[in-house]
Amino acid sequence: MLDNVPILSLITFAPLVGSLIVLLLPGQRSQWLRITAIAFTVIPLALTLWLFAAYEPSVGGAAYTEHETWLTIPLNKELLQGFESSQLRFDYHLTVDGISMPLVILTGIVSTMAALATVHIRKRWKTFYVLFLLLLTGIYGVFLSRDLVLFFIFFEVTLIPMFFLIGIWGYYGREKAATRFLVYNGLGSAAMLLSFLLLIATLGLSATDSQVIFSGNYDVLLANLTDPQAMANLTADQAGAAEFLLNDNMRWGAFVLLMIAFGIKVPIFPFHTWMLRVHTEAPPSIVMIHSGILLKMGVYGLIRFGAFLFPEQLHDWSTIIAILGVINILYGAIIACVQREFKLVLAYSSISHMGIVLLGIASLEEVGLQGAIYQSVSHGLISALLFLIVGSLYERTQTTQLDELGGLAKSMPFMSGILLVGGLASLGLPGLSGFVGEFLSFLGLFGSMKWITAIGVLGVLFAAIYVLRSILSITYGRTPEAFENMKDARFIEALPMIALAALIVLLGVYPSILTDLMQNGFNGLLEQLHTRVGG
Amino acid sequence: MSTSFAEYAWLVPVFPLAAFAILTAMGKGARKTGPWIGIIGTLASLVLSLCIAFERMTDNADDYSKSIEWLQVGSLKLSAGFEVTNLTSLMLVVVTLVSFLVNVYSQGYMRDDDRISTFFAYVALFTSSMLGLVLSDNLLTFYIFWELVGVCSFLLVGFWYHKPEAKAAAKKAFIVTRIGDLGLLIALLLLFWYMPDHALDFTTIHNVFSTPGGVISVGITTLIALLIFVGAVGKSGQFPLHTWLPDAMEGPTPISALIHAATMVAAGVFLVARTFPIFEASDAAMTTVAVIGAFTAIFAASIGLAQNDIKRILAYSTVSQLGYMMLALGVGSVSAAMFHLFTHAFFKALLFLGAGSVIHGAHTQDIREMGGLGKTMKITAWTFGIGALALSGIPPFAGFWSKDAILAAALDKNGILFAVGAIAAFFTALYMARLYFLVFAGKPKQDGHAHESPSVMTVPLIVLAILSVVAGFVDTPFKGWLGEWLTGEAPEHHGSGIVMVVSVAVGLLGIYIGWLVYVKGTVRRDAVSSRAPALVRTLERKYYIDELYDLLIVKPLRSFGKALQAFDDYIVDGVVRLAGYSTSALGRLNSRLQSGQVQTYALTALIGIVILALAIAGRRFW
Repeated sequence: MLDNVPILSLITFAPLVGSLIVLLLPGQRSQWLRITAIAFTVIPLALTLWLFAAYEPSVGGAAYTEHETWLTIPLNKELLQGFESSQLRFDYHLTVDGISMPLVILTGIVSTMAALATVHIRKRWKTFYVLFLLLLTGIYGVFLSRDLVLFFIFFEVTLIPMFFLIGIWGYYGREKAATRFLVYNGLGSAAMLLSFLLLIATLGLSATDSQVIFSGNYDVLLANLTDPQAMANLTADQAGAAEFLLNDNMRWGAFVLLMIAFGIKVPIFPFHTWMLRVHTEAPPSIVMIHSGILLKMGVYGLIRFGAFLFPEQLHDWSTIIAILGVINILYGAIIACVQREFKLVLAYSSISHMGIVLLGIASLEEVGLQGAIYQSVSHGLISALLFLIVGSLYERTQTTQLDELGGLAKSMPFMSGILLVGGLASLGLPGLSGFVGEFLSFLGLFGSMKWITAIGVLGVLFAAIYVLRSILSITYGRTPEAFENMKDARFIEALPMIALAALIVLLGVYPSILTDLMQNGFNGLLEQLHTRVGG
Repeated sequence: MSTSFAEYAWLVPVFPLAAFAILTAMGKGARKTGPWIGIIGTLASLVLSLCIAFERMTDNADDYSKSIEWLQVGSLKLSAGFEVTNLTSLMLVVVTLVSFLVNVYSQGYMRDDDRISTFFAYVALFTSSMLGLVLSDNLLTFYIFWELVGVCSFLLVGFWYHKPEAKAAAKKAFIVTRIGDLGLLIALLLLFWYMPDHALDFTTIHNVFSTPGGVISVGITTLIALLIFVGAVGKSGQFPLHTWLPDAMEGPTPISALIHAATMVAAGVFLVARTFPIFEASDAAMTTVAVIGAFTAIFAASIGLAQNDIKRILAYSTVSQLGYMMLALGVGSVSAAMFHLFTHAFFKALLFLGAGSVIHGAHTQDIREMGGLGKTMKITAWTFGIGALALSGIPPFAGFWSKDAILAAALDKNGILFAVGAIAAFFTALYMARLYFLVFAGKPKQDGHAHESPSVMTVPLIVLAILSVVAGFVDTPFKGWLGEWLTGEAPEHHGSGIVMVVSVAVGLLGIYIGWLVYVKGTVRRDAVSSRAPALVRTLERKYYIDELYDLLIVKPLRSFGKALQAFDDYIVDGVVRLAGYSTSALGRLNSRLQSGQVQTYALTALIGIVILALAIAGRRFW
């Protein structure tokens, strides 16, 4: 039913269209602008749900691939004998598979909820929504594109709007936070670009009858890597060329650069300080996107480029990654236990939760890898929910300092209840989505690294401490007079809260809805591991 | 085979779950109807549970289990399912019966609370989770419900959220039991990777570990058993994770009855009983269970002697009685443990609900401020007395028979364990005598008019009192019906004569001393505290365990967190700031060079040339 519809392009560029329409609207009409923006987050959401309904894991993304040559540049060098010409080619190549599908759906859901949460934005609506929608195009593009250059462009497209969204609409330290964000992520992008160039110039090699093509096409890279014979054939005429094309050291170089690039995004300790600022300074609706989706771009990159392209290197590094994961888990969790600012509790808790994702990746087992994706989706929903509440809370109390809050369950029973649901999901209560992600990640890694996993499991205890400590000091206890007559959530605020909470419950009770999507998603990777690394 | 009730056992937890859903959806509007929804939900479960149990008693039916695939990852399957055995059907009856009575009672007790419908919603969810736990056919499903039980008890302990003590108690209950949960979680991971085909269902676990010289080594078996036991220690309030249970008294009293009698704390004992083959396969694990159980029994009972809060005394009594159950498991007698769980559920629920009635009438929880309530609260006094006698192990009340079974099993294994159990029984009788005489005997100490509670509260008391009298007869040394039904083996006959004599003797002695001190006055009340004030003080302060944990664990952890925070702020972020600062400093330096003065440029160029020349010259020579 989706045969002739370029659905992936529609998903990716619908927000861009929305952003252009917002540009044409009068800047004073906040209501119009908001409704337009929400509409253009709902459209891609509806399309992703349509895609979800039609997606068959056994077929994978083959049915939805959109592949056009975008740009070719003839090259003057004569690298290989027997060919008449060589060129550099960049493709417009979008596709979806079991790994990107859950993240695309997550993007659709979280972005719509974040758009609903923008009711708290008070100034310069037009610019805000233009940037907001532009950001979404970037995110969808990152998850869907399969050409390195295209991926890189979309990745950069997410940075610039974020910079302004933090820097203009954030809290007091917004400008510093925005600069920190841009510099840190810019460094990551530089590493990524370097690695990508290396890959295009070596593994991007393919040949037709008469010409050699260097391209950033992910499928070509993967084919060259999976079947080294392909490249050997190409370079057979020139002895030693294969060695030059991507020797071991270069492989390691490219791999480490990718790890740094995406590790900053995840973030992996010690590259995490930038995201603390973003969590505390950006407006809550933007943090929903940031913590809910943008961090997952790091996870996605680690798996898509790190694990699939360099399974051997990842395998060699799996202990290191697992240890980094455990550090993330415990370091984040223990520091979260002593925070006085609720947003910082959530920021450090994000670090801790992303550590669990790293454990799943380090397992290099299907259970663990699925757990990593599951945990990403689940954490996306949970932190979106929690920051949604933070936004509504701050509107009323003008503070998120734990000492100054208390007893809100009396005046705001609904919001307090939802906050508790979010918190319980965050501490991994079974029946809610957080548990499944954690459990699968632990289960995956436990097979190969028992001690490391067992230490990581301790994080679950600290999670209980920081979650209950912070949430109980917000909602339990005596109600200060100032908070006694506060109004509970309005309908527009309650709607996304209920939707996110319902999804968190759904994923917790019925995980197959997501894991079935991921079936076959890791086939290629696992085969590689078994044949080349030997399990 | 024709359809049986067992096939519909999954409905047992569904009824209260539905009640929870309806109550939550109705919100605050359900003040009048809310309690009825909760009561009807649990009543439906009770009826079905009784049908299942009777069916199993008459037909000697086979175990029935059914599971569905919950999650599939690659070739690994995780399933969710339910299983009906004699053990589970017994637990179903206990849980639904106590929960039903608590529901009825709460309708009266909580009548004036604004959030009564929320209360009933939580109770329904609590009951549902516990029933789900009981019915689970595999350890993963079990773990899921196990955690849900924990969170429900957290919600109910902290039900009066505005009270700072309730807030602290709820938090403590959740976090301390979570320590235990970690053990269970790691045990689950271990089992998953060591069991053939990654099977986690109890039947397979039973088969694998019952086979001598099985596939899993003794070391790993011991490790798994001990980790499971850590979970049970947390949930069932065993030493050293018992500290949450007495604090959990901050919840409404009917909840204490529910937590202490049928749900939550029973889960730990039930877990060990359910995974018993793993324990049996490891002597070290069995010994640990027995020792921890016996120690907890005497340790908590001794604390109970010196407490003054009526609910706290009962709480320590629960900890102590759970210790007995663990002791029974540790010496290998599942049937004695389950028997005691069964009788204890009734008399402890009775005692807590009776305490609730007392608090309702006397408006205090301190037994030193009470007195003479027996005259005004006749039903409460009578039923409470029956509960106290049952707990003290006086025949023919229920507690006597089950405690006797445990002591007999302990004596078979080890004389010391038996002696510890017997001394703990003496303490039990003593603190219950003290409690009873201080509250109900003597002269009224208050001017206020204590009054009997309404019949919606007293009827459950009467029902539980009857059960506390008769429940013991399902398994007497003369006719061991329950044991046979549970384990499928003919009951062994212990040397019960001595045990029975000792057990009755220590019980009566305890009561007699209590009577001498608190009614007759032959012995002065401060006889002990004046001679050994340090001892009494230590007991009153519960052996300073809370203070010790605060000093050894909480404070260091907090300091460590603060230290890490400083590390993060000054070292990790400091390096980032330094990098940023030095970059811009370099930029400033360079921009200062761009001063427009040609002399500076020339000088800079000269220095550059000299350096280059030196470098080139250097390369030549070396």
